[in-house]
Amino acid sequence: MSRILVVEDEQHIADGLRFNLEAEGHEVRIASDGEQALASILDEHQSFDVVVLDVMLPGRDGFAVASALRSAGQFVPILMLTARGRPEDVLRGFEAGADDYLPKPFELAILIARINGLLRRRRWNETAPAGAAAPVTREVYTFRDRTLDFTAMEVQARGTSYRLTQMECDLLRYLVTHAGQPVSRGALLENVWGLHEETDTRAIDNFIVRLRKYLEDRPDSPRFLQTVRGVGYKFVPDGT
Amino acid sequence: MTRRQKAIAFFVALCVLLVAAAISLNIGWIVITAERARVRVLVFGIITFGLIIAGLIVYTVFLVLEIRRNEEHDTFINAVTHELKTPIASIRLYLETLQSRTLNDEQRHGFYDVMLADAERLHRTVDQVLKAGMASQKPKVIARAPVDMSALARECVELALARHHLQTDAIVLESHDERPLMARGDADELRTVVTNLLDNAVKYSADVVRVTVAVAAPSPDTVWVRVHDRGVGIPRKQLKRIFRRFYRVQVRGFKQVKGTGLGLYIVRSIARAHGGRVFAQSEGEGRGATFTLELPRLAS
Repeated sequence: MSRILVVEDEQHIADGLRFNLEAEGHEVRIASDGEQALASILDEHQSFDVVVLDVMLPGRDGFAVASALRSAGQFVPILMLTARGRPEDVLRGFEAGADDYLPKPFELAILIARINGLLRRRRWNETAPAGAAAPVTREVYTFRDRTLDFTAMEVQARGTSYRLTQMECDLLRYLVTHAGQPVSRGALLENVWGLHEETDTRAIDNFIVRLRKYLEDRPDSPRFLQTVRGVGYKFVPDGT
Repeated sequence: MTRRQKAIAFFVALCVLLVAAAISLNIGWIVITAERARVRVLVFGIITFGLIIAGLIVYTVFLVLEIRRNEEHDTFINAVTHELKTPIASIRLYLETLQSRTLNDEQRHGFYDVMLADAERLHRTVDQVLKAGMASQKPKVIARAPVDMSALARECVELALARHHLQTDAIVLESHDERPLMARGDADELRTVVTNLLDNAVKYSADVVRVTVAVAAPSPDTVWVRVHDRGVGIPRKQLKRIFRRFYRVQVRGFKQVKGTGLGLYIVRSIARAHGGRVFAQSEGEGRGATFTLELPRLAS
């Protein structure tokens, strides 16, 4: 049984979600605003396996709640649920630290499948904790004293380990598989985020800034994650 | 700073620079022409520079207002998207639940009630958007029939109590006048006005809803419907702005109430179309607010 926190101020939707998730055999808690959600996770240290987070909340919105959780070192998987489905909003959600995003109105079956996907991934991570004997299927990449563990979604660099969000992990993996080749922002949006529409591709830059903080000795003059002018980015494993 | 605030700051700064340049040119012009004592050229130059400066300022003010309006419009689109999509999402969720799960009779009826309430909410939002659209067009001919305002207010109070699931003492109707207080107008539209005012009074009440509605005749030829709440109140500066289209009241420490920002705009348009007016009073934040609808009274 998994514990799910539903952060939703619309009573009807919250009740409907609770009914269905409980019918799926999960334990459900409801927070009707961002403050309450942060209080139960950060202050009361309640542990949840997935957080279903609405964006348009009274007071602090969902984006702010997700960033607050991430900056407090909380890496519980977040599924964002919102009436705003424009590509800019989707990107902003991922940037704030969401792991998945579903626009309202959603299909119940799809919502449940996505939640199960996040739960499955969490279980994989738990059964294969970092540092344990690595199974053969573990996706690990090492370069210049830096270890990228895509399975555990972790980066070990400069003596520190950093947890990655799903999107940071996917973006890094894409760059690494295309090592040495310049990758355009458009290609990243399409292949990593699955967005095809015209979107402000600058949103990606914020992700790159964060990845550089993890990997680079001097993030303002990057050696591994280089900017290719007029194109996008390039991952250079030997840092030259 | 948001992108819009940056844009406003940029245009204001540009305006100040250009005005400063125009003023220094003007001074230069005065100095040069005054030396040669050519009065006509001097006056002509001063007027021209004055016009340029005035034009710049008007242009900038206009631009800033337009940016602000644009922002309000964006908030409106967001609010309406939310107000439309939320009930649809809810209805869909419950329908799919009904379709895919085995439920007992009680649960099923509970779900029907929820969906009906959502359909009603959707209907209200669509209605408001349509009414606001009509209100922003040329004043139309309204049906003018005698309307008993006390009876109309009573009807609206009962409706509001039912809709917000409130105890009967949450909204109290006071009417001191024995005679019927009549106005001339369209009963449906006037009902919209009172209902919107009551909805606001309930929505902006903090925890306990205590609303008083009074119907009175302050003078022989006017009739008032006043809605008084003990809610979050309205800061003095916003008392007039709240009637603007898309404007949402902002009170510190109080969570933003959901809605389209059209209710009071519709109220004002209807009041004006009836030859009346509507105004708000408030002692300030946290001290409640009073809305008064004033209509020409029809001698009975």
